[in-house]
Amino acid sequence: MATLLVDGQRVEAQPGDSLLVTMLRAGLHPTGGGCLCLGGDCPNCLVTVDGVAYTRSCQVPARDGMVVRRDHLGGEEPALLSDEPMSAGNAAPVHHVHCDTVVIGQGDSGREAAREASDAGLDVVTLDARDGQHVTGVYPGPLVVASDQAGRVLHVHPRREIVVATGAAEIQPVVPGSDLEGLVTGRAAAELVAAGVGLGRVVAVGERPSELPEGTLAAHVPIGQDGWKLVRFEGEGRVEAVVVRRHADADATEERIECDTAVLGLGRNPRNALARMASDLPVRVVGSAAMEPELPACPREGTVCPCSGVTVADLDGVWERGFHEMELLKRATLAGTGTCQGGVCLPYLRSFLLERGGRLQPAFTARPLNRQLTVRELAAGAHTAVTARSPLHDEHLSLGARMDRAGGWWRPWTYGRNDDEYRSVRERVSLGDVSSLGKMTISGPDAEAFLERIVPTKVATIRPGRCRYVLMLDERSYLLDDGMLCREANQGGGDRFFLTSTSGGSGFFELWLRDWAEAFGYDVRILNHTASLAAINVTGPQAARLLARAGARALPAFGLHRQVRIAGVDCRVVRLSFTGELSYELHHPAADARTLWRRLLAAGARFSVQPHGLETLLRLRLEKGHIVIGQDTDYDSTPRRLAHDWAVNLDKGDFVGRQAILRTNKQPLDKRLVTLLTDDPPPRETLEAPSAEGAAIHDGERYAGYVTSDAGTTAGGRRPMLGWLYLDAEGNLPREVTVDGRAARRIDGATYDPEGARARAAVDLASESSENVPEFPVARPEATDLAAEFPTRPPRLRRLEATRVSATPAALDAVVAEPPWPAGALAFRTASDELLVTATPDFEVDGDPHAIVERETAFSYVWLDDATAERFLDRESEWRRPDARPALGQGEVAGIPAKLWFETGRTLILTPAPFAAAFQRRLTGSLAEPDGATP
Amino acid sequence: MNEFVERQMKLTWRPPKKSYDVVIVGAGGHGLATAYYLATRHGITNVAVFERGYIGGGNSGRNTTIIRANYGIPAAVRFYQRSVDLYRGLEEETDRWLMHQAKGLLWMAHSEAAVRAERMRAKLNTEFGAETEFVEPQEVQELCPQLDIEGGGRWPVLGASYHPQGATARHDRVVWALAEGAMERGAHVHQNTPVEGLILDGERVAGVRTAAGDVAAGAIVSAVGGHVSRIAAMAGLRLPIRSHRLQAFVTNHYRQQLGPIVASSELFFYASQTARGEMLLGAEIDPQPSFSYRSSHDFVQDVCRRALNLLPFMANLRVLRQWTGVCDMSPDYSPIMGRTGVPGFFITTGWGTWGFKAIPAGGEQMAELIATGEVPELIAPFGLDRFARDRTMADRGSAGTH
Repeated sequence: MATLLVDGQRVEAQPGDSLLVTMLRAGLHPTGGGCLCLGGDCPNCLVTVDGVAYTRSCQVPARDGMVVRRDHLGGEEPALLSDEPMSAGNAAPVHHVHCDTVVIGQGDSGREAAREASDAGLDVVTLDARDGQHVTGVYPGPLVVASDQAGRVLHVHPRREIVVATGAAEIQPVVPGSDLEGLVTGRAAAELVAAGVGLGRVVAVGERPSELPEGTLAAHVPIGQDGWKLVRFEGEGRVEAVVVRRHADADATEERIECDTAVLGLGRNPRNALARMASDLPVRVVGSAAMEPELPACPREGTVCPCSGVTVADLDGVWERGFHEMELLKRATLAGTGTCQGGVCLPYLRSFLLERGGRLQPAFTARPLNRQLTVRELAAGAHTAVTARSPLHDEHLSLGARMDRAGGWWRPWTYGRNDDEYRSVRERVSLGDVSSLGKMTISGPDAEAFLERIVPTKVATIRPGRCRYVLMLDERSYLLDDGMLCREANQGGGDRFFLTSTSGGSGFFELWLRDWAEAFGYDVRILNHTASLAAINVTGPQAARLLARAGARALPAFGLHRQVRIAGVDCRVVRLSFTGELSYELHHPAADARTLWRRLLAAGARFSVQPHGLETLLRLRLEKGHIVIGQDTDYDSTPRRLAHDWAVNLDKGDFVGRQAILRTNKQPLDKRLVTLLTDDPPPRETLEAPSAEGAAIHDGERYAGYVTSDAGTTAGGRRPMLGWLYLDAEGNLPREVTVDGRAARRIDGATYDPEGARARAAVDLASESSENVPEFPVARPEATDLAAEFPTRPPRLRRLEATRVSATPAALDAVVAEPPWPAGALAFRTASDELLVTATPDFEVDGDPHAIVERETAFSYVWLDDATAERFLDRESEWRRPDARPALGQGEVAGIPAKLWFETGRTLILTPAPFAAAFQRRLTGSLAEPDGATP
Repeated sequence: MNEFVERQMKLTWRPPKKSYDVVIVGAGGHGLATAYYLATRHGITNVAVFERGYIGGGNSGRNTTIIRANYGIPAAVRFYQRSVDLYRGLEEETDRWLMHQAKGLLWMAHSEAAVRAERMRAKLNTEFGAETEFVEPQEVQELCPQLDIEGGGRWPVLGASYHPQGATARHDRVVWALAEGAMERGAHVHQNTPVEGLILDGERVAGVRTAAGDVAAGAIVSAVGGHVSRIAAMAGLRLPIRSHRLQAFVTNHYRQQLGPIVASSELFFYASQTARGEMLLGAEIDPQPSFSYRSSHDFVQDVCRRALNLLPFMANLRVLRQWTGVCDMSPDYSPIMGRTGVPGFFITTGWGTWGFKAIPAGGEQMAELIATGEVPELIAPFGLDRFARDRTMADRGSAGTH
């Protein structure tokens, strides 16, 4: 026998009891009074169960060990904070169910609807409150969300139809005394009698309760035009008598009928909220849920809305003062805004408004949540946005870095040695992890024309092997992003470009390119390398010497790029500079990043190489006046305002944003992003000291803008800042201003090495002796043999070694039909123009000379056996799994993009490597969750 | 007894006349505030406000009731600070209980970039008259003891900007008090009377076609929310406005315990406790333009998940109700107020997700414009012509969460 605690008192439950029945057996009314319906329609049985307030005790089975508090006695409000220990931050487990038809409610009409659908060969799921499945809402999708007794949250995805068979609620009494104990509806009375709860002397009011056994009733008072009118209930705490009088006659004498329990049969109101909230979804309402509402007589006195404690007098008060619309009545009194969402009061509000205004007003809008789940239940299946990890993430941690979220990636913010990080770049050599840059390869017959159309730079003049800084503008000519564009050396197959974006832009970069390519109809191949390629910036006066010691035989001059093998790793080396020093950006396969990083650190030991974090980088670039998208730019930053007109070629033909530039150039310039130098640097020895970012710039008395970037005093005792400066009334950009009251001077160009001599320094590798260069083993990776690998327990993600191809759909069709790769390799057609194949990239795509075929290490993979896959995906993927085998699926799993390959007996999951750690954590966590099958 | 039952306001409905000095389309907060300030500040009371539904039924009754001035550009900080100030005096001025409560707003940062942004916000706000300071995690914890300052180990709070004048008020009551104040001075408000067209006299807009007949007017003000593009089209105007859904939800009510308004622009959600005790949660707009009032599950699901990171005590609170408004979003996240280029036709729109907090200042300034014929300095930067002039009011402090 189950024992539970109610307000600290031990209470025994009998098998099959709801919590409410158990409490009533013990003589405990959950809220101290009010008519009980046992149907989940009213707020009169609310309790706190195991720390969860607003729990309908009639809808919860009594369980051993339950801790129940009557927090809602007399309309009290529960405390916000539970005093039970809480598993902080956890969401409830979700369970996805797919079907043709879902039937909500399993009364007669619901069972009938389920049987019919089943007979028609449909896959039917039924939900019923008596099985603990409380439906909270019907949403677009369609999606039906419900709790279940196992503590899970069900997400039911019906393909065809939602049948609402939720029946009808019994209308509650609204008369003085309706908040007494001892009032129950007809259905509730029948259930209580069946459960053996003593009701004492029972008087039925209204409809005769047909389900009550013979002999239960001591008296029956019919209500209505031909019968009686319910006047009030009398009693102290508990009902002692029902007072009625002849309906037609207002002067008739009241009659008092003594009772211990009054059973109310006042009519029924359809439970149609789920149908009303889903009006444009494939919803069918059957049974009494589809009935027309029965409007009770307009109430005269008493509590109309027990949730919010609204009386008839309250309704009268607001009506008299002009609140005549249903919504205004609701908002002015709060009737209908409590737990039962109008379940009790709505029929009365309508009859009240009909009588006062002579107009039957529609019910107020039905909104989710129909049955209230908790925050942790509603969060089921959701994950917070995942932050990507560079392949060097663990390297940074082992070097003591503090990681920070920036642009959707974890970046090393500082290694805890800011001054040395800065000096290593300016005086020696340093490494910076820039793997988070967006990276794209663009090839195809129209590659040049396409890029010409979307970037404002003249692309035709970028010769093979050269690279150039480019802006990316939107149609309003506002700066979206910036990056560098490299034209590859001609490879016979025609033009090919490599384009980068900022880390923050890498998320929308591919979509942006593909949208424009499609919009303009260009014949191009686009391959996203953001996760495939890691990138290390080797920067500082000794950068070339470090690379020479790492085995670089040749390095590109400034503004050029080339393929160089460095420390045994094949790199695309790009020579531009963001730090202002000699810089080489090494783009290389992500799988090789750790090897390369460690070898570069080793090769740089004699130059006292020190990696630098993002905080230092922001300081270095500021001395060069380089902008950071999002920090220095705003939604209205045009190239002219940014003083980046030099990166715009208006003579080359149309490009995205050109029309807007031509139009806005006719307007006088209003503000410009400028570099300011304070003559009087405030003492700011450490970076922790207050920054001037956000400080107002004044031109005399005139407000003239604000500071966007300030990284403090730099090595030379200068303090450069970037800021928006407004032109004065004469259209002049002031030269002398104040920042935070201190004098500052606008300067043209960079404050550090304004000629750019350091970044452009000539390099002579010949002086480097090759004697000091160790032998670097060159990795010759074998493609992952997925077919030969099998699920392990526990499942562990590993990096996939494969090849990715971007080519025309027709060419890929032909390749797939006659694969040029070894038998046994798996090929996944991830898009009409894209293929992922577990082979080495030593094949060609005959049908497309512009095809991009490249080594791909951007993915991590894990095989799951069928049982594990089912368990995991039922929780973490809302998609219906295909029936065919093998089959490829793509979508989100555990809140992370994934590709799924279903074979007989096992399922492969591929996820981008930057998310692999998060995916592993979510996979392990999900599998460790209790099954949920048992409560 | 329910202390929140409205027991003061009296709304007086009168039949429409054939002609008014000023006709305002849309009886939301901005429309009614314009009528209220025309009556109280300028003695202009031959005014009618036409409403297709009931008063305050659009975004005025669907917002999350937050009042703040911690915006990101000087013009916006000044304008919203004016509104914060007017709100502070509105209960006294109208002699009505609006449940106005200054509770402070914490805008939390979980990354260095966000820390910089909040520091910048504090500096810029202070410069232009809004009180905002940057506070360290320890102080954040003291201001809001319910916060998990470690963010569940994943979203630690590195600091916050604190805006002590951040407040909430009961949205409906603000609307009703303004309606009452305008009505008792003679202005008319006509519910269930959609404006179906504009009456043109040459280039000039000279009246409105309503469901209750034609009405002439000396000046017409569109104070329409999500559906403003339709009204503007009647005047031949194409507005740079897109309508987006904005959703929110409340829990059941609990005892008063959560002090400040808590917001995180990286987790994209904010929460406050209403006077009635509900926890009120909101987040960013839906990215796709839409006129749908349908609420979605993924919204409540995602926001609950985000909230659990910082406010784990919410785990066991039951969510009561979710709803949706349709926001008139401008491209620069700033409102559009003033003349339209069409004589006789004024507009107040682009109220996106920041309309409620601007109701008194927006109404006051629009009333001044209509009464004096001069564009007040406070709203001069927010004119519709700014888009043609390439003088947009891009405001990062406005976007995101509210």
